[in-house]
Amino acid sequence: YHGIFSLPLAFGGYHLAQLLQDETEHIKCFVEGKDLTCFWEERNNLHHQYTFTYSYENKNKMACAVSSLLASNKTIFFCKLPKTPFFTTLDVQVLRDGRMLYTRSLNAENFLFLDPPRNLTVMSSGKEGQLNVSWLPPPLKYMDDSMIYEVRYAVEGSNMGKVEVVKVSTMLVLLGLQSDTRYKVWVRVKPDGVAYKGYWSAWTEPVFGVTPPSDVDPLIVLLVLFIGLILCLLSLTVILSHHKFLLKKLWPDIPTPEHKFPGLFTVYKGDFKEWMSQNNGSMWGRSVHVYTEELPSLLEVLSEVSRTSHDTSQREEEEEKESESSDSGLTDRWRDPPHAHWLMEQLRALQENPESRCQSSLLQSHDTYVTLNQGDNEQQVDDVFEETLPLQTLFTTTGTSSLSTSHSDLGSLQQSSGSGRLSSQSSFEYPNHTWAPKGPGYAYMAVADSGVSMDYRPMSSSRIAELGRHRMYTNDYKNEICPHKWPLSGQYIKSGSESCTGPVW
Amino acid sequence: VFQGCGGLVSVLIVFVWLGGNQVSPLRPICDLRVLEHFIREAQDSEVIMRGCRGGCGAMKSYFVPLTSVDFAFWEHIDVHEQAVEVQTGLSLLVQALSTAMKAVSNSRLASALDNNISNIHSLSQILSTVLPDDSAPASTQSQEVSSLPELLQVQSSFLRGKVRLLLSAAPACQRQNS
Repeated sequence: YHGIFSLPLAFGGYHLAQLLQDETEHIKCFVEGKDLTCFWEERNNLHHQYTFTYSYENKNKMACAVSSLLASNKTIFFCKLPKTPFFTTLDVQVLRDGRMLYTRSLNAENFLFLDPPRNLTVMSSGKEGQLNVSWLPPPLKYMDDSMIYEVRYAVEGSNMGKVEVVKVSTMLVLLGLQSDTRYKVWVRVKPDGVAYKGYWSAWTEPVFGVTPPSDVDPLIVLLVLFIGLILCLLSLTVILSHHKFLLKKLWPDIPTPEHKFPGLFTVYKGDFKEWMSQNNGSMWGRSVHVYTEELPSLLEVLSEVSRTSHDTSQREEEEEKESESSDSGLTDRWRDPPHAHWLMEQLRALQENPESRCQSSLLQSHDTYVTLNQGDNEQQVDDVFEETLPLQTLFTTTGTSSLSTSHSDLGSLQQSSGSGRLSSQSSFEYPNHTWAPKGPGYAYMAVADSGVSMDYRPMSSSRIAELGRHRMYTNDYKNEICPHKWPLSGQYIKSGSESCTGPVW
Repeated sequence: VFQGCGGLVSVLIVFVWLGGNQVSPLRPICDLRVLEHFIREAQDSEVIMRGCRGGCGAMKSYFVPLTSVDFAFWEHIDVHEQAVEVQTGLSLLVQALSTAMKAVSNSRLASALDNNISNIHSLSQILSTVLPDDSAPASTQSQEVSSLPELLQVQSSFLRGKVRLLLSAAPACQRQNS
């Protein structure tokens, strides 16, 4: 390292001159390495003889060779003491032409001007917003652990710099930096002021470092994935342990009335008539449950039979039947109970009648029968049935009791409140009455609710009355949907399956 | 058994690693921060002295050790010679400070001087532990100062210079070169 004064003032000397601007003494001194250099300024146009003397510890004065350095408008005279004694008071004097000009007493160890730190390195620590800065102290003996450092850093191109002071240690971790940014870092050093004192050294050449980009810590990603996996496993376990319950909720079973009819499907293979004859006694003794899944459904009158004389006499019986009804959906009282009762009896009689044109396996699920009152059902049923449209059986009586009935759960009662709305209820227990067809007079439909919806268009009651004069319509099925559409204007109904026969006009 | 050995080895490795990373000297007695504490207290006495108006203490002359250090010369002196010189100088300082303390009228300065005396006693003990002073105390050169401020400055310079250089250069206190 060259002496400061061996270089032009533009470099190190200028820096030192800046540092010593606050020095009030005329003689300014600094220690560079192990040698003390003292200098003073004089104006140019003066030509004098300068002598520099120093002494310490009551010894004799010693002289030092004075050199000069020409600046723009001044001259700098300096002297470098050979073998500078430290830790003792030095008395220095400047004599101009033999006369004392300046004098000063100082301890050399208090004016150290160190070299800047070496090997400054800036590295990314891998963590977001951090940089590792490290350097080496200037090569001075006995002073390694009595130095203090100052680290200055700024974003490249910015003038706003921050300063960090570091004692003794020769490395520093910069925190709180912007991610993915290029930083400039400088370091300088000074004696810590206990054993040695001095001036701040010159800044090192700037070293650049780039902070790592802010991305997700892989550890965090792994943790998130791991927790997600655990949650999935937990939910899977819960689902599997309750899969039956969830399956029931999402994919409900189609209810079958099999449990209500023991042996109907297994033994008698669906032959209801046979099953009825065998299980006659046990059937009615059982309580009937109201199935809450059943919805009210509309009925349509297709034909009409004439009233019989038994209507009025059966009014009382009807009222009794009504009390036995366990319809959960009945909201309106039907207006003509006697007809319902008559219908039940007719249905029952038909079931027992072997001459029935209809097949006995007509209604296999719990069927509902609805009677229609001719007088009430003037209006057309407007609504289209949905969901649990029952399979329907239309019976027309023209004097003959050619009705097929079933002893399935009877008891659907018409609900007609003038709006033409029909609703069939789930089955309810019907007392053990024999049905006797009362003769023609009313058209009625057997509504069977098998949980299967069927779409059809309603008919007007007048039309139904017209139909009633002609023929009977049977709708045989075995848990099948007969894709019929009720005509509005007497269109031909074609049977969609073998088991279905449509009306013949 | 193997688990215990593995644990012990790992613990030892941790300690070795920790020891290798230390900046301070290996022996606690070689810690220069103790000496730096004494140096600061000696400088505190100088500050109190400067605040004295009208002379807090008697203006006497004291015999004090030489404090100047020529690095080139000092490095060629044997460590033991250095130790002898330092110990002699410390005893001289104690004598001078004791004399000064008796004559000082300012109580604050007197207590500071008393503190300095006890510090120098501690330093003597530290140095005798680090560098056994087996050779006889040689007749070292001394100088004479005429005032208490000069005495305090000599004390400060002596501690910062020769005492500190000796302690940092003592063989028992040398750090392992990495």
